[in-house]
Amino acid sequence: MTSQEAAARLPRVRRRARRSPLVAQRRRMGILFTLPVAFLIGSLLLIPIGQTFYYSFTNWDGFTSHWIGFTAYTNLFHNPEFVTVLENNAVMLLALPISIVLPLAVAFLLNTQLRGWRIFRSVFFLPTAVSWVVIAFVARRFFDPDKQGILRSLLDHTGLGFWHPDLLAHEHSALIAVMITFIWSVFGTNMIIFLAGMSTIDQEIYDAAKVDGAGSFTVMVRITFPLIKRFVQFAFIISLITAFSALFSLIIVMTNGGPGYGSTTLEFFIYEQAFTENNFGVAATAGVVLFVLVFTVSMVQLRLLRSDD
Amino acid sequence: MTTPNWSQRQGILVWRRRTSKTLTYFALAVVTVIMLYPFWLMGQMSFRSLNQYYLGKGFSLTTWHDLFAALPIGHELLNSTLITLSSILVILAVSTTGGYALGKLQYRLSGVVFLIIISAMMVPMQSMIIPEFVNLARLGFINHYYGAILVYSALGAPFATFLMTTYFRRLPEDVIEASLIDGLGYGSVFFRIMLPLALPAIATVAVLQFIQIWDDLLVGLLFLQTPAHRTITVGLETIPAQHFQDFPMEMAGSLVSALPAVIVFLIFQRYLVRGLTMGMSK
Repeated sequence: MTSQEAAARLPRVRRRARRSPLVAQRRRMGILFTLPVAFLIGSLLLIPIGQTFYYSFTNWDGFTSHWIGFTAYTNLFHNPEFVTVLENNAVMLLALPISIVLPLAVAFLLNTQLRGWRIFRSVFFLPTAVSWVVIAFVARRFFDPDKQGILRSLLDHTGLGFWHPDLLAHEHSALIAVMITFIWSVFGTNMIIFLAGMSTIDQEIYDAAKVDGAGSFTVMVRITFPLIKRFVQFAFIISLITAFSALFSLIIVMTNGGPGYGSTTLEFFIYEQAFTENNFGVAATAGVVLFVLVFTVSMVQLRLLRSDD
Repeated sequence: MTTPNWSQRQGILVWRRRTSKTLTYFALAVVTVIMLYPFWLMGQMSFRSLNQYYLGKGFSLTTWHDLFAALPIGHELLNSTLITLSSILVILAVSTTGGYALGKLQYRLSGVVFLIIISAMMVPMQSMIIPEFVNLARLGFINHYYGAILVYSALGAPFATFLMTTYFRRLPEDVIEASLIDGLGYGSVFFRIMLPLALPAIATVAVLQFIQIWDDLLVGLLFLQTPAHRTITVGLETIPAQHFQDFPMEMAGSLVSALPAVIVFLIFQRYLVRGLTMGMSK
């Protein structure tokens, strides 16, 4: 009883004892040093996102706005174009498993640390440095249906010349081309995340498995994969956020959202509504939908990272 | 149907190991080709004229000549450099001070501030960019370098501050206490002790932000609309509108715009790797 009391009292006593100019200075400096970042983020991120929430209930045209309440949301979800856009986002999800499995497989290969693995790692990671605009230009040449198109000449040279798909020209296939390009672009980032995860595994575990006679495939599935699950989750969520909120530049150059609304995803819809259609209110409402999606996914990620602690 | 003897078994094992090694290298070679092909394509196409491109053979410097004649490449590279470096400086200034305050000084509400900064990290750019644009347009910040620099800084600051906070938090407390005993204030502890210790984290933030800002299109497209202020990435995006279907020129422009970020990547790769995986730390 008394010891508990003493323990409870101890911090308070100590704090009072240290209430010196130094403690006051520490507090003052703490607040002073927080001010720049708080001001920057507050004025240029938090206020605008607050405004997006406010304008999402209005028929804002960039200058004037009238409050229309939840009608804005019911209108949006009854808008057939917006439904197509949401479907496109759902289809984008199909690219995620591939964007995880391919780099995971290659990371397994590199993790055996065979000769030259560092060079391979650098080469595969390199596309991370290249902008979406550049990637989109190259992708256009890749999917070009003309004689110069890379995909077409690939097919010609492998005896599949009878089949000349023109993915970018059709409403239901343009998004597939975007997804293939997306998978190529995030390959390196995800592979690096997996390799970082694998480097945290103790070599002794592998040695023990080898002594027990486990083959490399068994080691991969039974030992490596479970131990880097956290990293796989992280890569999955990062890729999901990228797919939903970082492909604007890729889409505007590669397909401009078309044909029709064939490759318009939510983030592109927001830009298009605001800056080509002048429907700032609709853009804000869609902006809230995107925010809620991405924010929820990020929260799940934080939870996952914390729960495994 | 006899069981293989010892030497036969060894032979099979060696054979299996060799085939699996060959297969591994084959797979890695295929991936290498897929990853490097775009770079080769850009290089090859940029050294052909439009006619040679359609012919599928030839070598010419016409495209490069046209590119520099038609586009203010040098000026655009300068704009990109100026904007990227300034934004990185602002981000470093606010994230090191903020990270020190939240990671080491920890006053009463610092936990709340840290949570708000983590939340700001999760705001997708498209969700806030429209009010941002309207606000800055009202202030007359459009088509000025400082407008774009502010926006880039605000977008990069949350993650940078998060990274710095976790980095400072891991530094031992004794370092500060020893310096305080030596008579330094909390301010000079930051400048003389903490900042030098944080150099690896600073490098990580700088490299991550360099690639992100250099490669960005949307902010440049909205906030720098006059050709005089254009960044190289925005300039690149305008090529198809000005030189319709001049694909070799698109590739030459792509190469020029990609080169600086690729060089930074190759030199500072390990910091980038650290930055990506540091996103996982709490």
